[in-house]
Amino acid sequence: MPCANRAVYLHAQAVLNVAGDEPAALRGETPAPRPLSFDPARLAHALATPRLPTDRFDRKIQRSVEPQGLRLLYCAARLARALHALDLPPERVALCAAIPEVDAPSPCWDAVEAMGRQPERPVAGLLANTPPLHALTLLNSSVMAYVAEALHCNGPMGGYCSQANAGLDALIEAVLQVAEDNADAALVISSSPNLTPALYLRDGAGPRETVHGEGAAALLLATAPAASGPRVRIAGHARGYIASAERAEAVLRQVLDQALQGERLALSDVRRIVADRHDPLLAELLRDAPVQAGSRCAVGELGASGLLTDLACVLAEPSTEVWGESHYALLLSHTAAGHVGAVLLAIDEQEKGA
Amino acid sequence: MRAREVFVTGYGLVAPTVLDAETLFQRISDRQSCVREHPLFAELGFPNTAAGYLDDEQWRHLNAGFAGDASGQPRQTVLADYVARQALDHAGLSSGAFRQVDSGLFVGSNKYCANSQELDQVSLFLDRQGRLDLDRYMQRPARAEHPFARRVDQQTAYLAASLGIRDHVYTHSDACAAGTMAIGSAYRAIERGDIDLALCGAVELMANELPYSMFNSLGALCQKPEFGAAGQSRPFMRDRCGFVLGEGAALLVLESKQHAERRGARPLGRVLGYANFCESEKMTSSSRDGSTYAHCMEAAIEDAGLLRYAVQHVNTHGTSNQVNDSCEAHALKRVFGKMLGDITLTANKSAIGHSLAGSGAIEAVLSLITLRDGVVLPTLNYDEADAEFPELRLVNQPTRQAVSVVLSNSFGFGGVNSSIVLGRA
Repeated sequence: MPCANRAVYLHAQAVLNVAGDEPAALRGETPAPRPLSFDPARLAHALATPRLPTDRFDRKIQRSVEPQGLRLLYCAARLARALHALDLPPERVALCAAIPEVDAPSPCWDAVEAMGRQPERPVAGLLANTPPLHALTLLNSSVMAYVAEALHCNGPMGGYCSQANAGLDALIEAVLQVAEDNADAALVISSSPNLTPALYLRDGAGPRETVHGEGAAALLLATAPAASGPRVRIAGHARGYIASAERAEAVLRQVLDQALQGERLALSDVRRIVADRHDPLLAELLRDAPVQAGSRCAVGELGASGLLTDLACVLAEPSTEVWGESHYALLLSHTAAGHVGAVLLAIDEQEKGA
Repeated sequence: MRAREVFVTGYGLVAPTVLDAETLFQRISDRQSCVREHPLFAELGFPNTAAGYLDDEQWRHLNAGFAGDASGQPRQTVLADYVARQALDHAGLSSGAFRQVDSGLFVGSNKYCANSQELDQVSLFLDRQGRLDLDRYMQRPARAEHPFARRVDQQTAYLAASLGIRDHVYTHSDACAAGTMAIGSAYRAIERGDIDLALCGAVELMANELPYSMFNSLGALCQKPEFGAAGQSRPFMRDRCGFVLGEGAALLVLESKQHAERRGARPLGRVLGYANFCESEKMTSSSRDGSTYAHCMEAAIEDAGLLRYAVQHVNTHGTSNQVNDSCEAHALKRVFGKMLGDITLTANKSAIGHSLAGSGAIEAVLSLITLRDGVVLPTLNYDEADAEFPELRLVNQPTRQAVSVVLSNSFGFGGVNSSIVLGRA
């Protein structure tokens, strides 16, 4: 879909994954995945739970929010300064969250642990060991509220939980809110799932060889680019859903066309394409195009944070020296559940002093 | 002037004690509550056993209506399938209709929550140290049933595949506002011209022991069993003390005016406007002066291109929670001022409990019937003499009123606010 209204720019980013909290770290040598404690036959990129800045979040949040939420809050906090610098009224700042399983299924998993302590009284054990705040975690809205409070986002909002596609859902909603003048800036926040047995039990967790990673990513969108560095404008976006395998290619082509049409581009006009080269559908579509691997190869499948991490990397390292002073980058996603998405970025060097 | 008008052409609904929207509307019109003593809560010795829950007889009906083997599916999926079929039938659409046009699916839901039957199953696979033996657990025959594999978007994925949705597939997780936000997102996507046809709403199954325990320990549930099950949800009354847990689902078919006219569909109503905002006042309440709720309502009315006097009826969020109802009452006074006396209000949760994500979608369907039939639903357990805000025109009897525009509110925990404006066809 072309962004026909106000221009929307990637203004700032924050990432967190096993490579660290700077996108540049994904370009270097990243740690090898390690065997999971509960299933040594599987490899994954586990991440230590981050400490939240106490000047931004109350200490009780560190204690009461589970790791996915803490990762997300950690990234959101790192955008506070950039958001503050925009000097916008809170009601003009949108908040869009990709939170498919934040806090969940931790209540269920707590149930197992509680039953383990009192196997003869499973329900009593569960209820006795469920902290009151888990009522809010059931609703998925607690982390959004913490971000809204800490970063003063009182504009339009949305929380999305279509697993790995939730990042795209949140991003597109944020772009539309800014483009259609419902907000002047938007925070897009996301987190990967926790590496628990539940992740591997869920439908669509992927084939056994999938290497999952823990991480988070957040983006700040605004009507103007950041003061320094190249301008990265969101020039197009599209999404589709593959309900049946025979329509897969048609849906993907339609998504691609929609993403490119606003700038009147053909795929060959796009110099830089970021996609999972191991995805058969994407590989077939892009077989004649130079494709850069996304974050997945370096830090594992990050779920809802995967696409946003890739966008953060493009913003942090627009590579105009490699791709030209003005070029387009296209990021494509295809989830195990059948969602496909495309985000087109227009990147150009700002004039000195601009 | 709207880029495109958005029509509602069908809906499906399942709520406590009822399997369709018309029966629910009639039941509330008859001032019959759908809130009952939950036998499971009684068995577990909970101090307050009231809930708006789907009972075994309803589940037999839902399971029987499922196209495949319902026992292998999560209950949310079985419920979503049933309600979606109702909505499509009502709209005169075949299940293949979504494959043929630009289409979307927008479903609000909260997380899957294991119930005690599922926990009992898991407990069979605990080892001597009380740890779950995952290998043994995974190898058991009925693997499709294991609760820890459930996803928050499982019902969306099922419907998207079975309907052959082509374009937008959203799962909203916006707490108690998720149903309204799903409808709002679908409305925006059609109005913007992204899609022509959408199925939207919410599916919620939370009337079981784990959510009960959590919300009860949060102090959010009614703590006065002496009111009796049917009497506990008492929105805007002075003696209200918390909500009653409910569950249910509603899905609406939305389409562009052009698409509806092309296929000769009969419009049941229109979505005129929508707004959603995130606030950060408190986790379980809003600004005490009602200003943030008011901001949301005003933005929805403005989005509809209307002035506030055009609103004739408000379907309130009205949970029976002490603080939330107070915030909403103050917000209504701020928005409508002296006009408030001309506007009727209703609080459907008085009759069905609070179905969290499902509530906004269920209340949207009831609002559409009010628009169609010109009947304002009574708020059960409401008595003006003991109401905290007697200036609010909540009625306790079904009332005839020609209504052209309804404002429906959903305000979720965590400060997730949304309002939608619905109009007569």
